[in-house]
Amino acid sequence: MAWPQSIRTKRLVNFLLIPLMNLTTLPLMLLWTTVGILLFPALFFILKTTAHWDAEQITRRLIWVYGRGWLAITLPFIRSELIGIKHDKIKPPCIYVANHLSFFDIYCLAVLPSFNVSIVIRNWPFKMLWYAPFMHMAGYLNIEKTSWEKFSESAAQILSKGGALLFFPEGHRSRDGKLQRFYSGAFKLAAETGVKIVPLCIKGTNTVLPPDRWWLKPAKVTIKALDPVDPKSYAGFSAHRLIKKNVKNMMIQGLNEMDFDTTLGNADIQDSACSS
Amino acid sequence: MTDQQIIDLINTSLGEEFELEKEDMKPEALLFDDLELDSLDIVDLVVVLEKAFQFKIREEDSIQEIRTLGDIHRFVINKKKQLNKQ
Repeated sequence: MAWPQSIRTKRLVNFLLIPLMNLTTLPLMLLWTTVGILLFPALFFILKTTAHWDAEQITRRLIWVYGRGWLAITLPFIRSELIGIKHDKIKPPCIYVANHLSFFDIYCLAVLPSFNVSIVIRNWPFKMLWYAPFMHMAGYLNIEKTSWEKFSESAAQILSKGGALLFFPEGHRSRDGKLQRFYSGAFKLAAETGVKIVPLCIKGTNTVLPPDRWWLKPAKVTIKALDPVDPKSYAGFSAHRLIKKNVKNMMIQGLNEMDFDTTLGNADIQDSACSS
Repeated sequence: MTDQQIIDLINTSLGEEFELEKEDMKPEALLFDDLELDSLDIVDLVVVLEKAFQFKIREEDSIQEIRTLGDIHRFVINKKKQLNKQ
């Protein structure tokens, strides 16, 4: 059966959009990163002397602006949908846990309602020389190279100052788009501190930039915040295991409800089918 | 309980808890490198084994020497034998 003319036109447009997106956004991202690195010392100094924030908060705010810049650059090619993101109940202090599909996830999380987020990461991202100094200055936590006691002390300090932590509990990017097994760190920390967990479901970033591909593809990206989970409802030595299972089930359900084809042409087709 | 039943129960319990693939659960599999467990998982692993076999092992020194899934099999089999003798 032949595709209708409108769908064929959309597919052709998308085919042309891929080179256009890469020829415009990649150089702009590189430029934005270079400008950001060069301007950081001056902006840091100005904010330190005028706003009197601490170094971590200033760096997190500037990283947040940098992330917003990335989103602005990709805006013509990425149709985004945010669900529940602006809601007060997901504001810090809290522990965000998100599924991990792409390197692009980090930049997408600049849509969160607060800049004051410290990302919990493994050791390898600290080896990216152009980002590492900023990650250290922002107080990002290396969960792989720190003992649990020291890690939970630093994390609790961030939360007590009204900040948030962001975990990717799968530990690395999913290759097939499905949720992988969850590590316990975020849930153990929630059980220890009593701070709520906010599950975030991300869809579509693996169409934009999947693991093992360096070029970008236009897509529809959806980020959905689920209802926060109160760890105080769970008791006992193994509370974190129960929280982990509950949050994972919520995220599986949340992602299933968001199930759609994320390639921009197909999303358009689906949208038009839904609206008709 | 036979040795094979013990091994099966260990593999089932750990497989369910840590969502491990059956084909990865070989006796020679290293807990950290091959099964990708972390230090927090090891604490949970002890809890899971204690619950599955109804004994306490968290105070035992020899648990520190466990490196592979096969080490866990041998540890639990020996522990069960010790308990049966008492």
